[in-house]
Amino acid sequence: MARKSGSLDLRLTLGDLVSSGSRALTRYTGTLLTVFVVQSLVAIATMLACAVVLATVFSHLPMWDEAVDGDLVSLVTCLRFAKLNLVACAGIGFGALLLWQLASWFLVGGVYGVLAQRPEGRAETARTFGASGTATYLAYARLALCSIPGYLVVLFVFATCTNAVAGRIEHALTVGDLVVPALVMIVPAAILIHLLWTVSDYARVELTLRHDSHDPSSVMTYLRACGFVLRRPLALIHASLGWLAFAAITIGYVYLAAGHPMYGAEGAVTLFVIRSGVSLARMALRFAVLAGQVDLGGTRPPPPRRVEIKADAKPQ
Amino acid sequence: MHRLLPLVLALAACGHDHGPPHVRKMDRPDGSPALRGGGTARSPRIANYKIDVRLDAVRHQLAATETLTWTNTGASAVDKLPFHLYLNAFKNESSLFMRSSRGEMRGAKASDSAWGWITVDSLQIAGVELASKLKLVAPPDETVAELPLATPIAPGQTVDINFKFSAQLPEVFARTGYKGEFNMVGQWFPKIGVRTGPPGLEQWQCAALSANTEFFADFGVYDVKITVPSTYTVAATGVLTQASESPGGTRTFDYHAEDVHDFAWAADPFFNTRSQDVTVDGGPPVHVKVYFRNEQLDFALRHLQAGVGAIEKFSADFVPYPWSQMTIIDPPIDAAAGAGGMEYPTLVTTEGDSVFIRPGMKFPEYVTVHEVGHNWFQGILASNEPEEAWMDEGINEWADAHVMTDLYGARTSGIDQYGFQADIVALRNTIVDDPSSLPQPIATAAYAFLDTTAYAETTYDYTMRAMLTLEHEVGSAKFMAAMKAYAKAFAFKHPTGADLFATLSHELGDDFSWFFGPAFQQVGGAKYKIHSTACRQAHDIRGVVADGTGKKTRTETEAPDTGTWVCEVVVENTGPVHVPVDVELRFADDSTQRMHWDDKGNGTFERFTVEHSTKLAAVRIDPDNLEMIDSPLHHAYRVDGEGAASLRAGARIASWAQTLMQLVGP
Repeated sequence: MARKSGSLDLRLTLGDLVSSGSRALTRYTGTLLTVFVVQSLVAIATMLACAVVLATVFSHLPMWDEAVDGDLVSLVTCLRFAKLNLVACAGIGFGALLLWQLASWFLVGGVYGVLAQRPEGRAETARTFGASGTATYLAYARLALCSIPGYLVVLFVFATCTNAVAGRIEHALTVGDLVVPALVMIVPAAILIHLLWTVSDYARVELTLRHDSHDPSSVMTYLRACGFVLRRPLALIHASLGWLAFAAITIGYVYLAAGHPMYGAEGAVTLFVIRSGVSLARMALRFAVLAGQVDLGGTRPPPPRRVEIKADAKPQ
Repeated sequence: MHRLLPLVLALAACGHDHGPPHVRKMDRPDGSPALRGGGTARSPRIANYKIDVRLDAVRHQLAATETLTWTNTGASAVDKLPFHLYLNAFKNESSLFMRSSRGEMRGAKASDSAWGWITVDSLQIAGVELASKLKLVAPPDETVAELPLATPIAPGQTVDINFKFSAQLPEVFARTGYKGEFNMVGQWFPKIGVRTGPPGLEQWQCAALSANTEFFADFGVYDVKITVPSTYTVAATGVLTQASESPGGTRTFDYHAEDVHDFAWAADPFFNTRSQDVTVDGGPPVHVKVYFRNEQLDFALRHLQAGVGAIEKFSADFVPYPWSQMTIIDPPIDAAAGAGGMEYPTLVTTEGDSVFIRPGMKFPEYVTVHEVGHNWFQGILASNEPEEAWMDEGINEWADAHVMTDLYGARTSGIDQYGFQADIVALRNTIVDDPSSLPQPIATAAYAFLDTTAYAETTYDYTMRAMLTLEHEVGSAKFMAAMKAYAKAFAFKHPTGADLFATLSHELGDDFSWFFGPAFQQVGGAKYKIHSTACRQAHDIRGVVADGTGKKTRTETEAPDTGTWVCEVVVENTGPVHVPVDVELRFADDSTQRMHWDDKGNGTFERFTVEHSTKLAAVRIDPDNLEMIDSPLHHAYRVDGEGAASLRAGARIASWAQTLMQLVGP
């Protein structure tokens, strides 16, 4: 491997990144499962809270059973009746999402730390996970603030494109009429948000890898990550593969589950197991993508080292 | 990428391209009489119109002459003639229509530059020019103008009134107007009011147009010549009797209609047609024709089938469709919100064409069935819509429910798509407010409703529910026969609500004032609910009881529990509408027992006490869903609460939340 200006000139390929992901999955299954369990606990708490909110109004009304089992008329009747309860459930869901967002800064910091430092053994892995997650938490929080303008641009692009094609979509008579306007509406914003998410990922990688040695600023890290991602299309392609697989699993589950309602306690358990399996598969995909990103991020030249001037330093 | 983007945007912006208009093949006359099978007049033919109109397709203007032949069929002389000038509703913001609608109707908005109007340029009676004598009845609204007569028109006398008028069509948002090259021309000519009332006390009915009022006119014969550019196709009320070339690259189409009270037409350079004949009562067929643009072919065929089925069913259920022709216009997609969903005698406009309306969703069919159905309740019976809109809209809704069930199945008449099934009535009832919350009764004049929502939900939906409830109460076959008798008795006679109630009472053999009054003339609907349930162990009476000549105290030991349960259920109805209902009790052993509450307004609650081997598990009011006025949500009650369904729903919400978490998190 040649060295250039202090950086490793490793030209990783897509295959290298994918292999890296599968290696990480087999090596750090426990870490993956830990994060998954935490997420599942948040989801279970959401489920129980929503169930209580709905049961307060529906436990004595048999029509609700028909609604949950898929009868359209019963469903709409019940939803119209219990609008406030539904708003409460939406609030619970939003709260869970917010809580997860805050928790994920620690968790993803821990995951990046483990994937970067490659500790051996459970104790070492746990220590690395905790230390890395703690060390980078505030940096990730600052990074999230840096990314807000980008998301505002995404919203603007989406709104503009939607406005441009709204009439066409409203008046579409066939699926063919809908395709181009739908693409115009979605694709620009989708490309932009994919770019921003990938930039955030690589910014986090750099913050994790260089935190101790370089203490890079979140803003500069974000901007450097923008430049890196734009110069290295492999980063976008690798991340998009992950999202495509994510979408495929989700769509596949929805397709297979449609028309196969599961009634009663046995059905609920089966459904829980299936949904958990789908969530775990998606999380494993993300984990594998993160592993590839750590490897690719590691090939970047380090950021400029911060210079600390001390008052009593003696000139050489 | 920079070259691709403009191309993509251009593709996204392109509409359906029809190319330039071209001279169309000349239409051939329909060759059938206006009335199916010909024959004598079905109506009094009080107001007869001969109109010659030319369409300026560039400026969307009409220039016309009209001869109205009107007969005073009352017992009193007439000293004034009021005329509807409906197009002035779109003249400016001071019109009653624009004020009451706030420039919006069914989601379509008025253009702020393309207004409409009608001007009477000349009005002559017996050669005397009288246009300057026309006076607005309710300025600044200009939709009704009155002509005072120097010489009253005596009873039995007929008068010819000759008009010259010009009109500007607005950009369509409320039934009439243009969009692009499409022109929908309804309520476009000076139209005389209607005299109603007891003999000698007749009064003019000629209401200004407001957001919620529709139309009321006398029957007559219409002969209308329509001149349009040769590139245009015309669809109109009645039958085409002649089509000829006219000077200046135009064509003139002569239409003739008998025993109708209105005349509407449309002109478009890109119309295609499909047609089908339908046999009614074994007589000459009805020719059903749908007009549409190319890109709407699939939906046009759906509308055609719905129209054919509707004519068959309505004719069988009420009176045979009397005319030879039914024209269905499927407006261009960008005009559908404004022009779609309206009825005229022998001509309807429909809507619902959208990629989002899949074949299993019967909304387009429903619109067509509803509008075709109007030809019975508005076209043939023709009640006074401004005063009693429910007699058309609401009764039509009730009839539509039957026709939709007959055509598309009991459980699938609304939707049968993506695993969801629902009948149209149940689906409608879920999306409107509960009748108990409506602010005004059914029998409210259309112009007197609080707002358009109150008008629509009361006049359409609540009336339908009231009719269905009464039908279920007396039995469907008996009720349908009674409604058929009503239609036969009052065809072409402008019946009132009182006529309907009297006919139903007579045919059904019961007064029904306990239902008609509360349901149609009061607010509040019905509010059935299970008030309370309670069960206790059954045993002989405990306490101090007679023992021969003395008394003794019977204790638990002497009167032990028998092992059965005594359960009490109290059901209530706190609304003004009362209907006899069954109450079904379900017990823990899954057995059921039915009780009957003969609720005709003699109390607001009923108590049932039963003894059973197991405890009461659930109660259901109206288990057969016969009572349609009330929301069924509170008709069923489970004694012991159960959270399984809520847990399943919570699990589904959590699953969605987890998907989102995985998008934002690791």
